[in-house]
Amino acid sequence: MADIAPPSLFGPTITLLQHAVKGAHLEHEQIANNLANVNTPNFERSTTNFKDALQASLGIPAPADELGLQTDDDRQFQVDDGSPPVPFDPQATVDETVQMRVDKSNVDVDQETTLLAANADYQSTVSQLVQQQYKFLREAIQEQTN
Amino acid sequence: MGYYSALEISASGLSAERLAMDVIANNIANANTTRTPQGGAFKRQLVVFAQKPGAVDQSGDDPFGGSLDPTQPVKADVEGVQALGIVDDPTPDRLEFDPGNPDADARGYVHYPNVEIVKEMVDLMAASRAYQANVAAIQANRQMGNNDLGLLKS
Repeated sequence: MADIAPPSLFGPTITLLQHAVKGAHLEHEQIANNLANVNTPNFERSTTNFKDALQASLGIPAPADELGLQTDDDRQFQVDDGSPPVPFDPQATVDETVQMRVDKSNVDVDQETTLLAANADYQSTVSQLVQQQYKFLREAIQEQTN
Repeated sequence: MGYYSALEISASGLSAERLAMDVIANNIANANTTRTPQGGAFKRQLVVFAQKPGAVDQSGDDPFGGSLDPTQPVKADVEGVQALGIVDDPTPDRLEFDPGNPDADARGYVHYPNVEIVKEMVDLMAASRAYQANVAAIQANRQMGNNDLGLLKS
């Protein structure tokens, strides 16, 4: 699962979506842990970098800032540091940002539940995309729709 | 990262918050208890929460996932929350002057528990909301699992 997608019947899309689902599950685990520790003093919330890892697995470097060079034509030079695709390897990272609470925890229930819902919807969307991919393939095989 | 680890994390949060609610209910029930087996008035109790030290599976020998992909170590080192113990609140007792009370001391003061109902109710609401947050996490987990299973029937 960690390797770079070989050319397959399905193309790289299925592998990308598979990694996205896996990353969403990892993210969900971190958010669930943050929520389980919502009343734990001195707790630091953790999150994952799975979307950056997903981008890196495509060979696109994560932008250091928002001021990267954009191209809108094939004749323009692509500013690319030539970074090769790396295996999809999401990591859990501890968020050490400012603590708002008197018990030195930086978990915000509202923020976590919002992230939880967003992550679940993200995973739902990706799942539907996987279904669509297989639906397209089945239509191509059967030469008919539905 | 096992399939059920997220559920176990949320379940640990549920049981921890339920324990907190039990302790708060005990505090409220004993808000006026002046006699305890240890002697003296009831002491308000508090639950100490701590992050559960996860069994970090760095070796990658996860029984199921590892057999599928031995090259990738399993990195789930978050295992939820645990209650380390229940401790007594060290704040002093509430004193009320009531010389006729059989529990009054020599100066006529009765030692009542250091339980404040308002504070307990607030703690109860916090624990209840935290419990709901964990339930929401479990529901999201089920939804995600259903999405995954839905891939099979397309």
